[in-house]
Amino acid sequence: MEKETTLYIGPQHPGITGNMMVKLKVTGDTISSASTHVGYLHRAFEKLIERRNWLQSFTILCRFCVPEPDPMELTYARAVEEIEGREVPERAEYIRTIVMELARIQSFMLWYGGQSGSSGLYLVGQWSVGDRNYILDLFEDLTGGRVYHMYIWPGGVRRDLPEGWKDKALKTMDYLEKRLDEYDKLMFDSTIFQKRAQGVGIIPKDKAIEWGVVGAPLRGTGIKHDVRIDEPYCAYDKLNFIVPTQEGGDVWARALVRRQEIRQSISIIRQALDKMPAGEFYNKIPNPMKWSIPAGSAWVKTESVRGEVGFYVESDGSNKPRRVHVKGAAYTHGVTVLEKILVGQNIADVSFILNSLGVCPPEIER
Amino acid sequence: MNFFDLKGLLQPLGAVKQLGKKPHTINYPYETKRTADRYRGLHYNDLEVCIGCGNCSTICQNAAIDMINIDGITAKNGDSGLRPRVDNGRCCWCALCVEVCPTGSLSLTKDYIYVTPDANAFLWTPGVSNPDAKNNISFTSDTNLSLSMYQRVPMRELDGMERVKSFAEVVLGYSEEEARAEAQRCISCGLCSNVCPDHMHIPEYINAIAQGNDNDALKIIYDNNPFPEMCGKVCTRRCEDVCAIQVRGEAVAIRWLKRYATETAPTAQKIKDIVNPIIAEPNGKTVGIIGAGPAGLTAAYYLALRGFDVTIYEAQSYAGGMTMFGIPKYRFPLDSVKKQVEYMESIGVKIKYNTKVGRDISFEEMHTAYDAIFVGIGFQKAWTLGIENEDIPGCIAAVDYLNIINRGDSFDVGKKVAVIGGGNVAIDGARVSARYGAEVTILYRRRISEMPADWEEIEGAEHEGVHIAIQTIPTRIIKGENGKVSGIEYLKAEMIADENGGRPRPVAIEGSETILECDTVIGAIGQEADYSWLPESFKAKIEIKRGMMIVTNEFNQTGDPKVFAGGDAVNKTADAISAIADGYMAVKGISKFLLGN
Amino acid sequence: MDNLQIENNILETIKTAFKVEGKVVREKRVEITAHKQLISSILLFAKNQHNYIHLNHITCVDWIEDGEFEINYIIWSPTTKNTLIIKTRISRENAQMENIDNIWDQANTYEREMREMYGIEFPGLIGEHEFILEDWDEMPPMRRDFDTLEYATKTFYQRPGREDAKDVREELTKQSGEEIPEFAKKYSREK
Repeated sequence: MEKETTLYIGPQHPGITGNMMVKLKVTGDTISSASTHVGYLHRAFEKLIERRNWLQSFTILCRFCVPEPDPMELTYARAVEEIEGREVPERAEYIRTIVMELARIQSFMLWYGGQSGSSGLYLVGQWSVGDRNYILDLFEDLTGGRVYHMYIWPGGVRRDLPEGWKDKALKTMDYLEKRLDEYDKLMFDSTIFQKRAQGVGIIPKDKAIEWGVVGAPLRGTGIKHDVRIDEPYCAYDKLNFIVPTQEGGDVWARALVRRQEIRQSISIIRQALDKMPAGEFYNKIPNPMKWSIPAGSAWVKTESVRGEVGFYVESDGSNKPRRVHVKGAAYTHGVTVLEKILVGQNIADVSFILNSLGVCPPEIER
Repeated sequence: MNFFDLKGLLQPLGAVKQLGKKPHTINYPYETKRTADRYRGLHYNDLEVCIGCGNCSTICQNAAIDMINIDGITAKNGDSGLRPRVDNGRCCWCALCVEVCPTGSLSLTKDYIYVTPDANAFLWTPGVSNPDAKNNISFTSDTNLSLSMYQRVPMRELDGMERVKSFAEVVLGYSEEEARAEAQRCISCGLCSNVCPDHMHIPEYINAIAQGNDNDALKIIYDNNPFPEMCGKVCTRRCEDVCAIQVRGEAVAIRWLKRYATETAPTAQKIKDIVNPIIAEPNGKTVGIIGAGPAGLTAAYYLALRGFDVTIYEAQSYAGGMTMFGIPKYRFPLDSVKKQVEYMESIGVKIKYNTKVGRDISFEEMHTAYDAIFVGIGFQKAWTLGIENEDIPGCIAAVDYLNIINRGDSFDVGKKVAVIGGGNVAIDGARVSARYGAEVTILYRRRISEMPADWEEIEGAEHEGVHIAIQTIPTRIIKGENGKVSGIEYLKAEMIADENGGRPRPVAIEGSETILECDTVIGAIGQEADYSWLPESFKAKIEIKRGMMIVTNEFNQTGDPKVFAGGDAVNKTADAISAIADGYMAVKGISKFLLGN
Repeated sequence: MDNLQIENNILETIKTAFKVEGKVVREKRVEITAHKQLISSILLFAKNQHNYIHLNHITCVDWIEDGEFEINYIIWSPTTKNTLIIKTRISRENAQMENIDNIWDQANTYEREMREMYGIEFPGLIGEHEFILEDWDEMPPMRRDFDTLEYATKTFYQRPGREDAKDVREELTKQSGEEIPEFAKKYSREK
């Protein structure tokens, strides 16, 4: 019988997806229990927002998650719109859809890097993060910013598509689609990746929903649930796309789901660019300093790469939010789900599993 | 799958074919990255366009923007003299400062590289520290994209042709919903308060309206203006000329919002209930006031609140001065004045009507009886035109005409009327005549753009069919067979540039005599004060120069320390709000003089 | 309305079973307000009888003026894709709420956070007391009476060099001599 020891991974471990720590009890190489420790990047965003007005808040909210800030902007905007009853022009809905999908693609690119890097395949990450810059270029042209776009705000979007942007976007999509095949050769076809991914970090199908699993990890267990279909927002109900699922619930299944989703995202962007109507892109809010929202609350969900992002927004009728509570997928994935599925796994797989769950620590402590 | 899966081992080697391809990364020789046309880089501020409203500083949720004094920029009307300075260590480039900039002076540039080992150097003033950046501007706001609200909530009015049928009030006032929407446009900078002669707390009361607290709004208004209803209707509102929103759009309708707030209190009792003023215990000091115009009433109101025993002497049988009968009813209904005077009387102001100082009571008597005196006599005597036949029937001064009409008496203007002058009084005379069905022509020496009247008044007159003959100089009034006015002769004028740099002067063109047939000539070229009440013995101390009383300090104290003065006879602007301001300042002066605080 | 059939059904079912108030907010959103003692029974009822097996969210709102915390349980059913929001109010004084991590494991995380951020006790809750904060001895920071600005001013120092900053409204009143009365200042520009 080997002795049980305690091992801390993180917060500065390169394989961890951000500033958090996993405290492991290990016997040999095998994990017997795990617990998540956060507290390394608490910025009290939710508290800060209570001191800021409804418009100022949206510039903080995008900072909840660096890899994919746009769903935060969108969810907040939709929640405010729901409470206030503000209409959003149709063109804005299409632009928002495109931004969301671009955000998903660039986040997938980062995931490629994390997922393959944590199994030792560094080249894919170098390629994908390089190619991600072409999407950031699109974002820069559209929003004026590369990582934090602060582009989707209540009432619509801040600026219309610039001239020539549509063609540029389509070209980038063509390019990326070709590149995806090359990533496949390096990653999905690779025996190393397959060996590492299959049968690792299994989420049981019958427990997945109850455990609070959402997004790609849930679809990786064969359960078809996607907010974009179940509660369509933006222009998703006017576009055709499939929600891919895989059986198995392991890292491999989750990776395959993402591999298919990125192709769906490209297709959605093409359709949205094609179908986008002309017209207004912004239903202007009043003077932001005096803009009050009627009392009320809203619970709004958006599908991000990591799973669903939910915002609970409460207004007391003043010009500042009473409460904005953000629930990212990592809040369950990174704590209770991770603690459960790590049991019995190998130490070397910790960061591999973390990446496959898409854990973003800033969503746990905001 | 077994461990020696050949495909799985060989496929990744396909990456080798990338060798020799042009890299996607940095090119050599190094090329600076092209930034997007709407890139949100470092700030640039056009210092000439900026008015220092500080809206950028307010919206910045990182507290990265300070408003500071900088060399070469001084405060003036409509410009606080402050300019934004950005702490680039705090900025998050959300560009909300650009989105809310009312003037559009602030923008972000394509520059994004700023490297320095000195941490303090990240604090710099856009436009001062980076003047060249103006050629590199990227993220800007135009009036469509800006979050400033440039469109005024339109004021509902009676239609022009409908108006001339009666003296019904032309402006209908904002509804609650309209007022809230209009109040939301205000950015609370306070540039308006600065030019208001009375320094009313405009941002505060507008904000109270925006938040739905009309009572608080009224309370704030009554803090230093006891005549808000009048100001809400006919104020010359210089505040709106300097509104930050007005730079690129329509000024916030400050006047109409004040009007809205006052309309929530339709009776004197209601005003008292809402304002609920704290009246100080009587302090035993007495103040006598000459004239129950805006200046006198204001002084009386605030003095009474401070515990003074106040008595106003008014020559007429009514209070309100020029505002009572000098303003046509379609602009300012009489009930408004009556209500406000009633409210003032209810808090202890005493008014002695039909008591003319110098006739019914001598100034010396007052001087002995009271601890202090406030003179708010205004301008009652109209200037004469100084042309032939001015004294014949059919020729009347506009103030007299308005007075007669407002009192309810009649004056037959006939079918055609000529009005001489370009101020609000002239327009009033013209528009009143139009309501009696006359064909009205205004004769003005200069161009329309130079008329001192409010543009809304000029526009209103034109909508009502008043003709404005510009660049005309009347030379004589023509006497008809019945001894009455039958026409007016005038010369056409051309505008000659002033050599000293002043505004162009109208110079008559010789031989351009034209005759305009008319039944009535209304003169409205100005008024002056009557000082017959002031005994010679006082004139040594209380100085009068060019018809104006001279005050020696900001508290409107005259050469005689016991005597304070205000209103048209003191200030050059000669409008009601200046008179109110004079009254208010005199209250402070009298308190200081009598109580030492 | 026909298209809100599912929503109305579930609302009626819970109303009849527990005698609570509630409303259909919109499509796929049903809101119920219940006494705090009913919460776990309603959650179990919804989970076991109506397949609301997914705990979406638990959130707390501080209604300091009422002296109450509002706790919202948001649960979701994969069958009807419907969301049920169950609201309850508890007193801010000695705030205590039933621990429900036996119904959903992940509730544990929410409850630990609420314990730390709002000072709400959940009897029987397992887990370290320090979850996010470290060495914190002030009041629970998400309570509305905790003033972040005051705390920041007290704890950190401002970088020197910005003392010459002026408030525009104040500067203008200095120029003109305007005196804004105290009661009106709350309507002045926010800083």
